[in-house]
Amino acid sequence: MKKYLAIVQMQVINNIAYPGDFIGRSISIGIFLFIFAGLWKTTFTIAGTDVINGLTLANMLWYLMMAETIELGRPRINRVISEQVKNGEVAYILSKPYNFLLYHFSFGLGDSLMRIGMNILVGVGVTWLLAGPPPSLLGWLMALTTMVGAWVLHFCMMALIGLTAFVVEETNSFELIYQKAVFILGGMLLPLDMFPVWLQGIARALPFPYMMYAPARLFVKPEVDLFWQMLAGQWIWVAVLVFALAMAYRSGEKVLTVNGG
Amino acid sequence: MTSISVHQLQKTFQTKRKAAGLAASARALFKPEYSTVEAVRGISFRMEEGELLGFIGPNGAGKSTTIKMLTGILHPTNGVASVLGFTPWKERQKLAFHIGTVFGQRPQLWYHLPAIDTFMLFGKIYELDDREIKKRVDFLSEAFEIQDLLETPVRKLSLGQRMRCEVAASLLHRPKLLLLDEPSIGLDVVAKQHIRDAIRRMNQEEGVGVLLTSHDAGDLEALCKRVIIVNHGQIVYEDKVSNLKRKHLTTKMVEVRYAEQVPADFKLDGVEVLKVGRYGVKLRFDTNETPVDSVMSHLSSIGDLVDITISDPPLEEVIAKVYKEAPTA
Repeated sequence: MKKYLAIVQMQVINNIAYPGDFIGRSISIGIFLFIFAGLWKTTFTIAGTDVINGLTLANMLWYLMMAETIELGRPRINRVISEQVKNGEVAYILSKPYNFLLYHFSFGLGDSLMRIGMNILVGVGVTWLLAGPPPSLLGWLMALTTMVGAWVLHFCMMALIGLTAFVVEETNSFELIYQKAVFILGGMLLPLDMFPVWLQGIARALPFPYMMYAPARLFVKPEVDLFWQMLAGQWIWVAVLVFALAMAYRSGEKVLTVNGG
Repeated sequence: MTSISVHQLQKTFQTKRKAAGLAASARALFKPEYSTVEAVRGISFRMEEGELLGFIGPNGAGKSTTIKMLTGILHPTNGVASVLGFTPWKERQKLAFHIGTVFGQRPQLWYHLPAIDTFMLFGKIYELDDREIKKRVDFLSEAFEIQDLLETPVRKLSLGQRMRCEVAASLLHRPKLLLLDEPSIGLDVVAKQHIRDAIRRMNQEEGVGVLLTSHDAGDLEALCKRVIIVNHGQIVYEDKVSNLKRKHLTTKMVEVRYAEQVPADFKLDGVEVLKVGRYGVKLRFDTNETPVDSVMSHLSSIGDLVDITISDPPLEEVIAKVYKEAPTA
């Protein structure tokens, strides 16, 4: 366990090796939120209402803050695996006494911890200015709890995409498709509550809402029933994806070809 | 005791092929073509504990693929191997505690951070306690002369400095066996010497066995007692380095300097004259055809000798000769 914590710590240090870049990346959430705040203000004005499908403008902006925090802080482990396969560095990763997937889990966690922390800091500041004070303590509690499962789900999906690099090497296109699925079916751009009922049904049958909608929606409208429902859904999907990941890794490592001989 | 035992190890890859141009690229999208590459074709050898074994061959000979199978990174297509009693591709993590690896063309140190951070991380990964890590880092930094480099970000180090840190990092956990894949690639003479000296010291003081792949005959001469030469995925030569030199090193080079001027039309039977200078000559001859003493007595009869150097040709030439005699694909 200690070794995996050391990897998390190392990646945290790695993240702040270039303070300028780190601060620059952290500011980007503020820009996104500013743009989306303008869009939603216009939408509410045109609609001539204070509430759309149960959500106020302030709810929408805080929802977006949480969704953007997750999106910008989620692990991008597929890019790391793909790069390591292409440049042959995967040889080192595989020749050390740790589990390949847990190594990447720790690496991704170290990366996300700093980014999520900074995104929350900047995001809360900007959203507070644009939409007023943040939701209740219960909202924070439910959001942060479900963020754990959301992060693990993102990791599993990214790692699954990353493992395809053992065969196809380049995985960017898969990530783009995945990202768009999360944007729409995960409820990042628009909360699921605003979807037609039939589309909500499709989305809820997939893992995507548990990666984005669950923490963001519980953040702005904490409901105990929904919380347990989302939490259970998250970890059922985690179990399914971890199994898929283990299977994919087992077959992937047998077909791996290390570039450069 | 045997540290590596390999029997009929084979590795076959499928590689995508595509001709040049847009049309070929479009065709490859719908009907990709693959060719089979037999990277390693039934290699068998043994290596004893603490041995310094050279594993050399030209590009694409199968050296790196063999090393990667021995570390468990690649699964072989066929054959068996035991490294320190482990089957590498089945017990990779267990084996990793006992071996060190350096892939010369790739960094294992975290590029943006000082090497000391990677050393500390590796210490944790190899489950050493903090006191042991510190003691080991102190020892290795002295052995590899990297005391002043440890706190500099790796990206700021020269290749030679980085490689010293890379090899030192691979020895942090006191491995019994070090697998070095081209550790001297791209290094200048001084940097190569530094690394060779440190590796030799680790072998003598800690008994760590070294399996070394290299293009550089100098690595082999400086470090290894025994050599395996591979070509086209097969072993074409296996013997002591000294025997390799004796059997395939029948050519001698001689450089002589005289007190007086040398005749411009200098000639000697059975000897190839490479260069005639004003006061000296450079010659090459095969000792099987022309005995050394007859050449020497003739050279000394010409005039007063000021200096004489007799040397073997570079090992590259010897290896090239072995390659030529070996079966080709």
